[in-house]
Amino acid sequence: MMDIQIGFIDFLLVAPALALFLFSCIPLLIKVLRGNRESNMFATLVYGYMGLVTAFGFLVPTMGTERTALQGALIFDGISSFTSLIVLMVTGVALTYARDSRSTNARQFTEMVFLLLNCSVGMLTMIWANDLIVMFVGLELFSLCLYMLIALSLEEKVSKEAAFKYFILGSFASAILLYGISFIYGTVGTTAMPDVMQAAPNLLGTNRLFLIGFILLILGVGFKISLFPFHAWAPDVYQGSPTPLTGYMATGVKAVSIGFLLRLLSSQAFTVERFWPFVDALQWLTVLTILVGNVGAFRQKSLKRMLAYSSIAHSGYVVIGLIAAGIGGASMLGASGVLFYVLAYSLMTIGAFGVVHLLEVQADTDLTVADLRGLGSQKPVLAITLTILLLSLAGIPPTLGFFGKFFIFSAAVKQGLTWLAVWGVVGSIISVYYYLRPVVAMYMEEPLFSRATLDLRPMSYFLVAVLAFAVLAFGLASEAIVGYAAALL
Amino acid sequence: MLLSLIIFLPLWYALIVALLPDKNWIRPVSLVLSLLHFGLSAVLFYRFDPSTASLQLVERASWMPSFGVNYFVGIDGISFWLVLLSTFLTPLVVLGSWTAIDEKVRSFHVCLFLLLTSMVGTFLAMDAILFYVFFEASLIPMYFLVGVWGGPRRLYATMKFFIYTMAGSLFMLVAIIALIFMAQEQLGQMSASVLDFYKLNIPFVAGEFLNTQTLLFFAFAVAFAIKVPMFPVHTWLPDAHVEAPTPGSVILAAVMLKMGTYGFMRFVLPIFPEASEYFATFFMILGTIGIVYGALVAMVQPDIKKLVAYSSVSHMGYIMLGLFAFNIYGATGGLYQMLNHGISTGALFLLVGMVYERTHSRQIAEYGGLAKVAPIFAIVFLIVTFSSIAVPLTNGFIGEFLILLGGFQANRIITAVAVLGVILGSVYMLWAVKRMFFGEVAGVVKDHAEEGLEMGTREMIVMAPLVLLIFWMGIFPSDFLNWSKASLDHFIENRTHYELNLDESL
Repeated sequence: MMDIQIGFIDFLLVAPALALFLFSCIPLLIKVLRGNRESNMFATLVYGYMGLVTAFGFLVPTMGTERTALQGALIFDGISSFTSLIVLMVTGVALTYARDSRSTNARQFTEMVFLLLNCSVGMLTMIWANDLIVMFVGLELFSLCLYMLIALSLEEKVSKEAAFKYFILGSFASAILLYGISFIYGTVGTTAMPDVMQAAPNLLGTNRLFLIGFILLILGVGFKISLFPFHAWAPDVYQGSPTPLTGYMATGVKAVSIGFLLRLLSSQAFTVERFWPFVDALQWLTVLTILVGNVGAFRQKSLKRMLAYSSIAHSGYVVIGLIAAGIGGASMLGASGVLFYVLAYSLMTIGAFGVVHLLEVQADTDLTVADLRGLGSQKPVLAITLTILLLSLAGIPPTLGFFGKFFIFSAAVKQGLTWLAVWGVVGSIISVYYYLRPVVAMYMEEPLFSRATLDLRPMSYFLVAVLAFAVLAFGLASEAIVGYAAALL
Repeated sequence: MLLSLIIFLPLWYALIVALLPDKNWIRPVSLVLSLLHFGLSAVLFYRFDPSTASLQLVERASWMPSFGVNYFVGIDGISFWLVLLSTFLTPLVVLGSWTAIDEKVRSFHVCLFLLLTSMVGTFLAMDAILFYVFFEASLIPMYFLVGVWGGPRRLYATMKFFIYTMAGSLFMLVAIIALIFMAQEQLGQMSASVLDFYKLNIPFVAGEFLNTQTLLFFAFAVAFAIKVPMFPVHTWLPDAHVEAPTPGSVILAAVMLKMGTYGFMRFVLPIFPEASEYFATFFMILGTIGIVYGALVAMVQPDIKKLVAYSSVSHMGYIMLGLFAFNIYGATGGLYQMLNHGISTGALFLLVGMVYERTHSRQIAEYGGLAKVAPIFAIVFLIVTFSSIAVPLTNGFIGEFLILLGGFQANRIITAVAVLGVILGSVYMLWAVKRMFFGEVAGVVKDHAEEGLEMGTREMIVMAPLVLLIFWMGIFPSDFLNWSKASLDHFIENRTHYELNLDESL
């Protein structure tokens, strides 16, 4: 019988997740005690915010330290604190959107908030995990929450299909992941990540079982970031989900999955000669991810589908940075570039989805590019906001997206992966077309209908404006952010 | 401080214009602000020392030290006139668009000031990444100028313009990154400073395409060639010009095309001397094809604005020919022709815009006898035409003569072909003038004769400085060239190992 002791400091370290969980229970409890009647939506929202603020308060003091908690099951280092911040931020934004969106804010809002906060608990667990099983638990927790969240949507046409599709394919990916973990456990004899990482350089060269397990592990996570050929679910699921959740899913899930992949790199696996064929294959997958994403977005009419394909393409750009970091032996430039890009991507993507949800008139509106016509003269502030976010997604200076690409391409050129940078450039050129199409519709085409009655929810409206401003302002302060990320690593 | 003010004050102007309470004030306030700005940039005449080739009025500030990227601006004889050209044309464009732009006036002037910042920034940035940021940022306001205030096919034109330019410059971004790391290898630390790029020793193998210098050379050269635009990649230009509103055409032709040729002078030729020399003939041929092809296509255009647009392709071909001749005549002529083209083509677009505003027709065939109805307009148009076709005593003559002189020294056969452009240039311009201005009063001129097609006072005020400059630059070229002479001499003499010093005293 093991004597398990949990120290006070461990509690402090996991307190953000505990806080989120506890505060998520309060509105649910109130609802049960009131005989299953929905309480005031704003009160529910405030509990959610309180949970986030408390979590943030517990997170900040632990930043910059490097420790493990709960017998080495969790690790708190630069990657986890930086990514945790992104997760908390997007959760807060998604909560606000969810209250304002017509597809989420009528019935069962309490359940929505409960699931959303616990989804974030799962994300935090995954990024803190220092053990493959803990990582898997975190991944499953947020995945299950997401399946239910999507199915809870008030939109009746495609959301159920989307939830089911995501569930089936997600389970398949989880199976691959678990299969890989079992191979690793079989060869190393433990699932503790430090031991696995330490054994990896040697075992990758000598043990085929371990090699396969490691590859399956990467591919399993690759599903979550919609790496080619595991990308096909993304457009359908993103389109079918309620928009606040699409934004949340597109940013939070990717942030933690990429953070986890970044952590795997410190095993130096990419520098093992036996692993190189896979690295080469991964480079091709990256190129294909960029091309499929950008070419796919080219002909989309639905804005959500377009943003889904664009998010596939952005995954490709991030993986360029990951490969560069891996080949350089977890090089600083690549890793901090990846973290910066994830932050940039999260800000601009969740901002863009915010604008989309503000313009959705009904729960089942599927906003198309043509619906944006004349927005520039009808709602000038919202139009400028979306323009800035789209220009940033396209990587046009002086926005955040440009500096993100600059850091990623720099890392690639530094590691002799110029050809990947060139493919990234080709993708960016294609992307300019579809990112500018909404801008054309907003400013250069005549309005189709009056928007005088459009009720822009003030909180979401304010948030998207702040996000657009951040995309501009952080762009000029990018050195400070990337330096901060580098210092954390 | 002066250069930063010249770059960034227009951002504040844009804010002021955006926040003005009364719509009727927008035009006068913009005019005053842009005139003040030109006055501010004229301070350069006092602060700039033409006797040295060094970089002057330098300002540096740390921006992204971990990549060696800094805020670094400076001015020398090459950028001096281009900066002044940008600030000089802005008030004229504001005044010229007084009645032409009658909707979304506020956004229009905001775009104009944003454009001014990015143009001046492009010419003054001495850090490659800073340059890239301004170079790309200039696309956004121009994209809106064409797309919002343009003609019927404006969406197609503005998208094409944006994607063409962006496509070229993104490859340049990768090349800049490669140079930054090369600086780390060779100079010990990462640096995006153009001055450090000049010091690099980039391996070059003649006769092979896949070597470092050739690839980097083409990454830069293609980006700038699209912007210039050179012959095979010029197709965005006629579309953009025809669809753009008059002020957009003026800025596009007069200043934005110069970003390309300036890029060749600042980046391509000095950073990649071996590759530039190796491919010089190739670029001279492309320039010459541009000259002749542009002129031939211009000749058959039924649309006067498209004619002027194709004449731009032809004129820009001269500049490229001069730059790749690698001698002092070619370089001087190239720089001078940049200013000439800015003034004469800018003036032509303004004039075409003025008459279009009244008749709403750009078809040459629909005009006739304009000179009888509007004599002053006809005189001004003829003067500008003479400048455009390089008649002696106008500025165009000096530029083209110097370029052909330089080109003849470098390659006689190519230059002999290029001279054809001079003849063809007179053919298409004078033929168009004949059809529009002389003969019987006919077509749209007849329909609008009673309303008056003559220039108004405002329009005369717009044209007066341009006409003055055409003669001043044509008769006393040294008044202008002396400011750039030291830099151009230095540029040619040290072509194979070009370096720029900082003049710390200023």
